[in-house]
Amino acid sequence: MNALHIARKDLQIFFKDRGSVMLLFLLPLLFIVIFSGALSAIGSDSDEDTRILLPVVDLDGGEAAQTLLEGLDAAGGIRVELYAQAEARTLLDERKLARVLTIPAGFTAKLADSQQVTLRLINHPDADAEGTEAVRLIVEGVAQDMSLESQIFASLRQMADMQANAPEEFQVFSMERTMAQARSQFERSRTHPLVAVVQTVPGQEGEREEMPDPIQLAVSAFTVLFVFLTSQTAARSVYDEKKIGSFRRLLAAPMSKASLLAGKMIPNFIMGLIQTAVIFAFGIIGMRLLGLTPMTLGSAPLAVVLVAMVVALCSSGFGILIAAIAHTENQISGLSSLLLWVMGILGGCFVPLFILENFLGPLPKIVPHYWANRAFNDLLVRGLGLADVIMEMAVLLAFTALFFALGVWRFDFD
Amino acid sequence: MPAILEVDNLVKKYGDFEAVKGVSFSVEEGEVFGLLGPNGAGKTTAISMLTGVLPPTSGTARIGGYDILTDMDEVKKLNGLVPQDLALYPTLSARANLSFFGRIYGLKGKDLKERVEDVLRIVALTERADEVIEKYSGGMKRRINIAAGLVHHPKLLFLDEPTVGVDPQSRNHIFESVLRLNRERGMSIVYTSHYMEEVELLCSRVAIVDEGEIIALDTIKNLIALLGGGVIHVGLQQVDNSLLAELSALPAVREALLAQQTVAPPLAEGEAPEAKESEPISTSSVVKIVAEQSQQAVVNVIGFLNDRNITLTSLEILEPNLESVFLHLTGKKLRE
Repeated sequence: MNALHIARKDLQIFFKDRGSVMLLFLLPLLFIVIFSGALSAIGSDSDEDTRILLPVVDLDGGEAAQTLLEGLDAAGGIRVELYAQAEARTLLDERKLARVLTIPAGFTAKLADSQQVTLRLINHPDADAEGTEAVRLIVEGVAQDMSLESQIFASLRQMADMQANAPEEFQVFSMERTMAQARSQFERSRTHPLVAVVQTVPGQEGEREEMPDPIQLAVSAFTVLFVFLTSQTAARSVYDEKKIGSFRRLLAAPMSKASLLAGKMIPNFIMGLIQTAVIFAFGIIGMRLLGLTPMTLGSAPLAVVLVAMVVALCSSGFGILIAAIAHTENQISGLSSLLLWVMGILGGCFVPLFILENFLGPLPKIVPHYWANRAFNDLLVRGLGLADVIMEMAVLLAFTALFFALGVWRFDFD
Repeated sequence: MPAILEVDNLVKKYGDFEAVKGVSFSVEEGEVFGLLGPNGAGKTTAISMLTGVLPPTSGTARIGGYDILTDMDEVKKLNGLVPQDLALYPTLSARANLSFFGRIYGLKGKDLKERVEDVLRIVALTERADEVIEKYSGGMKRRINIAAGLVHHPKLLFLDEPTVGVDPQSRNHIFESVLRLNRERGMSIVYTSHYMEEVELLCSRVAIVDEGEIIALDTIKNLIALLGGGVIHVGLQQVDNSLLAELSALPAVREALLAQQTVAPPLAEGEAPEAKESEPISTSSVVKIVAEQSQQAVVNVIGFLNDRNITLTSLEILEPNLESVFLHLTGKKLRE
């Protein structure tokens, strides 16, 4: 009970200090706006079209030519740009283009008549071999599909013609209906191929995580960073009590030392939760008001709340540890800055975890920030549920127990 | 009167340093007991052990019959502590501070409100109770500091240097409050100070503390009686043992002692230091004369010195008070 009285008093004192309140709640929001903007920019850079340019001279201009162009574009890996024949020739000669594909005149008509047509792909001798090979494979693939489609349609048309001459009772399918069904089958085979082929480059065989939504990423990362930074508040509160002498008064009162320390942890815990709520509310509402993409709470909001509680608890435990090992205001500032910011950097609060892990290996796992970020990422970015973050929560609780035990052990009650 | 506090050979060590060296004393119920000593004498450390702030290295104490080693939870309920620091939360109001300290002693609801109002009346700050502490003057802060130690109505109140940095008006107010608490409510009080005037005014018995030890403990009257009829410091060019004996034998003089040796006589070549120690004494010394009756002793001493043609370099008649007692016992001033 005394712990609650101390907590209530500390919260009263904290909320009277408007500067600290602003710092604690507005600073993370500012960070989120700035960093989500920056990450969005990085994200848009990564969206830059890196496909191989395929200049095309369309001498046909018909429906089949258009289908071919769309097929090439949709095949992935190459980006189609149309050129006039003369311009393409000049640019190719000047080595400003690596290759040019020419669709001959009469391409559509010949295909309709099931006549053979030839697409001409001219490669500059200096064009990179890999690109040339990739383009050749893609063009051949799309052309084969078109050939197949054209041949099947021709067959169907023949069948329909034959059926037209048959007695009425045998005319089960109209030609239009048969053709539409065939088209639908082709469409489906494009979007849902029975066999999918993925091209990989040596060294990138591993699963590459998608770049998460920058807003989600920034919100969860800065929530973790700032909730842990709140642990300074517990340390400062203990220091202030000692400085003004009220700590002696508390020690002389009928309460256990555990109650005293719990009383110092509870405000930290509550502030951590309020901070999380404010940051998330900003991520959902504020981002929308700012015209940015709002964050979502994923598919398991209850799990998000539980993770937020565990993170706030871990931060409170860390506060007691700082209070135990730092004895002056400068030590608290220095130690907090050093440890909390380094832990934040290491734990993925500034650089996404999948990038960090690429060059730091398992090192980030030694800080609680890593597990907190992982739990939030799993819930907010990947849309996973409570069962998927049990391990992260257990690790955070273990960190909490460790921090608290070390704090109590090293705490100077004298 | 039964004892509310019995201290038995209490010791506090920090490594090799012994801050409190086995102090023993008792305080009767309803008594205002003084711990007088200079800063660093060990008064606060002793109080810290008695209030549960620090664990003793050895020894123990009983408060209200409860042992501080085994029943500290019960002891804490009986104790009230007013620390030397202004142990208050400056951004909270006086009322909020007092309510908080009341709550941690288990007070709540109407009872808590009444106790807060009561202590505000005692320190005469009811009118300004809702102002934040940081807007108070130093004296007002001291008064609320005392109120915070009273809010749970302790049986034994420890006041640790409660008037440090206080203006005379607030100091008088604090004295009045302490006396009223003792006389009207029968509260037992342990009052530590290095101001002998405060202790003389408030306390019935005093323990004089120096370097972690109690060097004298008695009523103020008896402590001052240690000085006899007063103490006279006589400065002389040269003093020897025969002179001290002759001065001691004068009428109205109880005792003559060498108080201060400012210049040691040089050792002769090859002379052993221990041989020198037995020599009569030195030049430019102060003789402390403990008088039966100070005025008569002064007349006799001056007459004796004139008869012997001995030059008097200084003369100081010490007022018979606790400061003089401390000086007499330790050779130091209280505020050194």
